[in-house]
Amino acid sequence: MLEIRSARKVFYKGQADEKIALDGLSLLLATGEFGIVIGSNGAGKSSMLNAISGALILDSGQILINGADVTGMPVHKRAARLARVFQDPMRGTAASMTVAENMLLADLRSSKRTLRQGLNATRLASYRERLSILGLGLENRLDTRVDLLSGGQRQSLSLIMAVGGSPDLLLLDEHTAALDPRTAEIVMQATVRAVSALKLTTLMVTHNMQHAVDYGSRVIMLDAGRVLLEVSGEEKARVTVIDLIGHFSVKTDRMLLAS
Amino acid sequence: MGFVQDVLASFVAIMPVTLAQSLILAFVVLGIMIPFRMLNFPDLTSEGAFPLGGCVCGVLLAAGASPLMGIAAALVVGFAAGCCTAFIHLRFRIHTLLAGILMMTMLYSINLRIMGKSNLSVFGSPTVFDWVPFARPGFPASKIVVAGLLALIAFMLLYMFFRTEKGTAVRAVGANPDMAEAQGINVWAATIGGVGLASAFSASSGALMVQSQGFADVNMGLGILINGLAALMIGEAVVGKQTVWRQLLAPFAGAIIYYQLVSFCLAAGMPPPDLKLATGLFVLAMLALPSLKRSRGPAPAREAIRE
Repeated sequence: MLEIRSARKVFYKGQADEKIALDGLSLLLATGEFGIVIGSNGAGKSSMLNAISGALILDSGQILINGADVTGMPVHKRAARLARVFQDPMRGTAASMTVAENMLLADLRSSKRTLRQGLNATRLASYRERLSILGLGLENRLDTRVDLLSGGQRQSLSLIMAVGGSPDLLLLDEHTAALDPRTAEIVMQATVRAVSALKLTTLMVTHNMQHAVDYGSRVIMLDAGRVLLEVSGEEKARVTVIDLIGHFSVKTDRMLLAS
Repeated sequence: MGFVQDVLASFVAIMPVTLAQSLILAFVVLGIMIPFRMLNFPDLTSEGAFPLGGCVCGVLLAAGASPLMGIAAALVVGFAAGCCTAFIHLRFRIHTLLAGILMMTMLYSINLRIMGKSNLSVFGSPTVFDWVPFARPGFPASKIVVAGLLALIAFMLLYMFFRTEKGTAVRAVGANPDMAEAQGINVWAATIGGVGLASAFSASSGALMVQSQGFADVNMGLGILINGLAALMIGEAVVGKQTVWRQLLAPFAGAIIYYQLVSFCLAAGMPPPDLKLATGLFVLAMLALPSLKRSRGPAPAREAIRE
């Protein structure tokens, strides 16, 4: 379960270019729920994700994961509870290390690292098995350096790394946006399979309205640092791309009037 | 012909001495490689940590402490110096190179304070090199055995460490700090510990050098960094850096080859004052090589100018 209580974050406070990134944003995502976050650029999607992951420290407000207050926790401590896939495939993996070593790093995300040997036969076998689900042949390239993989392969690896160990919360930050349509589809299908199989509480940011319609149990639209619209349940099942875009245009009109 | 024979004869004559020296200095090269390659933290602390270890060891030897005690103390103070550099970088967001320059500048005064004077003779004090039973004291063979053994131990321990769960995490911090943090790795702890460890190696090299040469000098670190870097470049060119094994082997192989090269140049009659220029040019060439190989590099700029 994820709970955000009136989160507020202002950049460049008191200066001419002051920017309110999060304006008292509140959100409740029940355990096992798959939330899709949409909104125009600058609506606060990235700020919200960064605030949840700990990369952004809030001015005020609270963030709770499974009831535990993580507001003051640094990124590496929160990592025990949440996993994140970034938009940029380069950010989620260690390029100069092998596929197996990257899997190991993710494997130990929530446990204490010891002075025992990292990669052993048991672990390698389990990594091979987990990677084979993708059907990209990564299971045969465990000793390949990650910088030799394609963007799609790297992103698929990031996904497998993130869902391993069933995190309390999975954050997907436009994780298919940098991929070609076919690879994006592979990664998206793998995501949906993993999320439903492991019943992960997931928050996915996307600009793809079709994804917002097709997947997830709830659509959350952000605008100017707060939740503008939430669609869930039966309403979510009926919602169309046109409905969602309609809400964008309302905002665009307002922006036009304001300017 | 006579010249070539003379050069070769004097080169071969000093080969064992050079080998002993290079095995001792290999620890500095190791102390440069770990932050540079494993942590992606180009670090200059070794230029101050090397004499720091030497001065601390010198003072302890002069006070009658055991040579092992001197090395242990050097490891501790070296570790502290490296931790300071890493902390300066992390806390105040000062560039790693500048943090290193600050640290080595401050260490110069600290080294002078520790010794109370600019150099200190410890000739005749017991050293770790006396413990080799079959070799005559003072002969390079004992130095080669002891320093070689220590190098082997350091290599094996580091190799084992970088394959552990913790060691893999440290390498991840160098490869991609954002990702490492997102995977629950404490980037601060890994960086401070890693740079500290590297400086501890540099300082232990200083301590060994003092025991080997019989005196400590605050200026003993002058130019050690560029020598170490040159050795590292040679080592990486020879043994490569694709795997942890090769990357760890490079400092040792590089130190041995580099100091033999230097001794060859000196034997061939190169004036010692020119050595730094030659070393600098060599490091420059090694660093510039990748961009020279990319033949397309300068072409667009020329075309842009032509337009």
